[in-house]
Amino acid sequence: MNGDSSIVLEGRKLNRQFGFGRNRFFAVSDVDFVFRSGEIISIVGESGSGKTTLAKMIMGLLKPTSGEVMFRENPRSLRTKADREEYWKSVQGIFQDPFSSFNQFSKIQTLLLDCINLLKLKLSEEEKMNMMREACGFVNLEFDELYNKYPFELSGGQMQRLMIARIFILKPKVLIADEPTSMIDACSRATILDMFLKLRKQNDMIIVFITHDLGLAYYVSDTIYIMEHGKIVERGNAATILESPVHSYTKRLLADVPKLKEAWDLG
Amino acid sequence: MGQTILTVSELKTFYRTRLKENVHAVDGVSFTLEEGKILGIAGESGCGKSTLALSVMGFYFPPLNFKSGSIVIDGIDIMKLSREDLRTKVLGEEIAYIPQSAMNALNPTKRVGKFIEDILREHRPGLSQEQMQRLAAERFEILNLPTRALTAYPNELSGGMKQRVVIATSTILNPKVLIADEPTSALDVSSQKIAIKLLKSLLAKGFVKSMLFITHELPLLKHVADDVMIMYAGQIVERGRIDEVIFKPMHPYAQALMGSIIVPESDIRGHRLSSIPGAPPNLKNEMKGCRFADRCIHTVDECRKEEIPERARGERTIRCLFDFDYQSEETAHERR
Amino acid sequence: MNSYLKYFLKKFGWYLLTLVVAITLNFFLPRMIKGNPVSVIVSAMSQGMSDVNAQKKLYESYMHQFGLDKPLFQQYLIYFQNILHGDFGVSFGNYPRRVSNILASAIPWTLGLQIPAILIGWLLGNLLGAFTAYKKGVFDKIIFPAALFVNSMPFFALSIIMLYVFGLHLKWFPIGGGYGYQMIPNLSLSFIGSVLQHHFLPFISIVLVAIGGQAIGMRSMSIYELNSDYVLYAKLMGIRDSRVVRYVFRNAVLPQVTGLALSIGTMISGALITEIVFNYPGIGTWLFTAIRTLDFPLISGCTLMITLAVLAANFTIEIIYGLIDPRVKATQMEGQ
Ligand SMILES: Nc1ncnc2c1ncn2[C@@H]1O[C@H](COP(=O)(O)OP(=O)(O)OP(=O)(O)O)[C@@H](O)[C@H]1O
Ligand SMILES: Nc1ncnc2c1ncn2[C@@H]1O[C@H](COP(=O)(O)OP(=O)(O)OP(=O)(O)O)[C@@H](O)[C@H]1O
Ligand SMILES: [Mg+2]
Ligand SMILES: [Mg+2]
Repeated sequence: MNGDSSIVLEGRKLNRQFGFGRNRFFAVSDVDFVFRSGEIISIVGESGSGKTTLAKMIMGLLKPTSGEVMFRENPRSLRTKADREEYWKSVQGIFQDPFSSFNQFSKIQTLLLDCINLLKLKLSEEEKMNMMREACGFVNLEFDELYNKYPFELSGGQMQRLMIARIFILKPKVLIADEPTSMIDACSRATILDMFLKLRKQNDMIIVFITHDLGLAYYVSDTIYIMEHGKIVERGNAATILESPVHSYTKRLLADVPKLKEAWDLG
Repeated sequence: MGQTILTVSELKTFYRTRLKENVHAVDGVSFTLEEGKILGIAGESGCGKSTLALSVMGFYFPPLNFKSGSIVIDGIDIMKLSREDLRTKVLGEEIAYIPQSAMNALNPTKRVGKFIEDILREHRPGLSQEQMQRLAAERFEILNLPTRALTAYPNELSGGMKQRVVIATSTILNPKVLIADEPTSALDVSSQKIAIKLLKSLLAKGFVKSMLFITHELPLLKHVADDVMIMYAGQIVERGRIDEVIFKPMHPYAQALMGSIIVPESDIRGHRLSSIPGAPPNLKNEMKGCRFADRCIHTVDECRKEEIPERARGERTIRCLFDFDYQSEETAHERR
Repeated sequence: MNSYLKYFLKKFGWYLLTLVVAITLNFFLPRMIKGNPVSVIVSAMSQGMSDVNAQKKLYESYMHQFGLDKPLFQQYLIYFQNILHGDFGVSFGNYPRRVSNILASAIPWTLGLQIPAILIGWLLGNLLGAFTAYKKGVFDKIIFPAALFVNSMPFFALSIIMLYVFGLHLKWFPIGGGYGYQMIPNLSLSFIGSVLQHHFLPFISIVLVAIGGQAIGMRSMSIYELNSDYVLYAKLMGIRDSRVVRYVFRNAVLPQVTGLALSIGTMISGALITEIVFNYPGIGTWLFTAIRTLDFPLISGCTLMITLAVLAANFTIEIIYGLIDPRVKATQMEGQ
């Protein structure tokens, strides 16, 4: 990534606290980040390290306890409905739990149509159908097989791919993807990653992968942030971090990933 | 070497949807499972892995339906048993299941220990409540779960803990076959490692006799399974020893799958992943010939003519007419 | 249990505050109705009286007796104080009967009609909803649409239809009142029989409407729960259907308990209208009369009773809910 591409999102000393009194704890503490146009970032950490909380704050779904998010070099405002819609047109997310993020009582077709309607384009029924079919095609889903189904009639991986299909309709400027491929087989994942990379090339999309899959982080990202107990403990160029990790936590994470060639110590 | 515990032959099952269509999600699957072995199942999402797991349990309820085939556990064809016998004598006792989303597998308003009591009440009617509690507590101890987890509600447990509770619950009756459907894909690497260790120790200690392990994480499978089956659109396309299938896949789909594995090892970066264009076939349609034909680069007319039988190639079984050897995916799958 | 006590006290505080606000509104709102009640009474009493001065005297003495000559705010303070002593003043329209006396005579009728009707309607509605989700067939095709139809009717329409068909037309049941008008309340069998006879039609009207509303919600909740992972897992561990259905019923009914809390206000007000239609001697009918005669003390007394009932019902439901649903316990008590 060339250093001079423009900064789109920036976080300054983001904090998020949950609970009060004795139960109080910081799920995210003093996190700084800088996302530049076209950059692919991975935020990696164990379960409970605060990744989803951070992602929700970036998406504007959760208020930081303190700290600030800068969007295109101005403090982000989400006060009015118009502000929020404007922001969400540029910043979109794929959520961790695909089942709970969809209305269980709407058919797949309705779910995708809602997305298209967000764009506020004037389209004929035919064009909308084509758009949905194409979006499903990007993620190896057969639209004609699915449109009449309810979310609970899909397999986990199909559900996740449907979430991703939304992104190909919305084409945001920043994509926050929280464990986007945890239920998807390697081959489909490769296809989806390919598609993501194309989207990034097309419109300089920033992709933030939130994951505990170090392999994925290593393969796709320019920059990696390692998160432990709400803090960023190591950050930098992906290759550097994974080839010569400095922090002991990073080293442990790396050791716990099953690999193809090296042994996996189950002792 | 080991004794055969489970034999599944030509199993066919389908979903009957609300719209009265049939989805043939398991379409002629045969395999055997030996004592002490872990058999892995991997494949594209939506290819029918979870359905295969459910089907092998032999206990069908709508929308899943049995069509044909046999499932033999320890010499007994469980499809010939009455439903009541199946429920009380086979489920949990002979063959047990760990569901894909173990996170939601526990009733949110039931204490973990009470649920285990309910299970024991069905299968061990003679036990007193104390005996049931003792049994559960012992099993929890073996799995390094704190006893307080027994009196907890599921939402009071962390994800990794819930997973371990489900492992304990599923194996409480010491089943001969344990079917684990993506037991760790919702866990982070550290909890995953713990869960895998537990599963392996259960097998080593003889609490379960054999295991079917479904996952799409092939690097994980490499360290867990002895043998592996690669599934595509309701059928097994390749079966063999795990190391051989991972490093020298023979079926074109398996080759593409292995070419797309990502691990944090230094040669992966910049390495081109193989991806297959197109979508898998619609399982609603009756299919003829090879299911992978539409996406395969080697397809010839013969592939689509009739059902491709499974055949042995060395120690491997594959469902392909040709003998393709695995080259690096750059040469084999470069299409653009 | 300490945290539960905290939850209880917090809820209690909120309800107390709501009650104070309600009492205040109760005092001021009726006084915004146009018209002067004393002139209504005086003009009724002084029919035929020609002396204007005497009329004026009478008017002033009434104004003083009811405390209407004092400033509004002072009236409010007195009102509040009196309420705390259970004194709602003297009814304008039924002078010199005390409002508390009227309420005391009406409340047993209202409670006796509404509590059983709403509870039974709620219970039957939920059972019906669960059955339609689980059994389908005749439940789903005939009974459920019928419930939908009944639910879409306004309360008074159903009451009037019942009154017309079974009371006026078929003459199976009396058309109004709480007991035969020639009778004097006592504990004889014939009196109780008469009460039950008069009770039947309004009771059934309320039950029918309640069933419809509850069945709809329960059906979709049950369908959702039946498709959840824990149901699959429990079944595959060999747990019998009847027990699994109990899990589902419990989890589906929990949101219905909240639903009851939300809808109890509507239900009570609807039931009051039923009382009016059947001229039942409960709060609803009294309130109706009081509004017609601008009987402020009685209006406030009735509405206050209704508010109190709705608040008490909601409070009870929330407290019970907090006890039975571990999920609420966890989230509500910790707070954000
Ligand atoms: N709404 C909430 N109220 C209280 N605590 C919360 C809330 N949301 C998250 N937490 C807590 O904050 C911590 C961080 O949670 P978060 O979901 O961000 O972790 P994560 O890194 O995304 O984990 P995972 O990999 O399991 O998704 C956890 O301890 C979690 O229990
Ligand atoms: N209840 C259902 N009704 C109809 N079709 C279903 C139902 N459940 C699953 N299917 C279909 O059956 C096929 C196989 O689904 P299954 O869940 O077995 O896939 P899977 O291999 O386990 O996928 P994943 O890796 O995503 O879990 C899919 O095409 C899916 O759409
Ligand atoms: Mg998360
Ligand atoms: Mg599955």
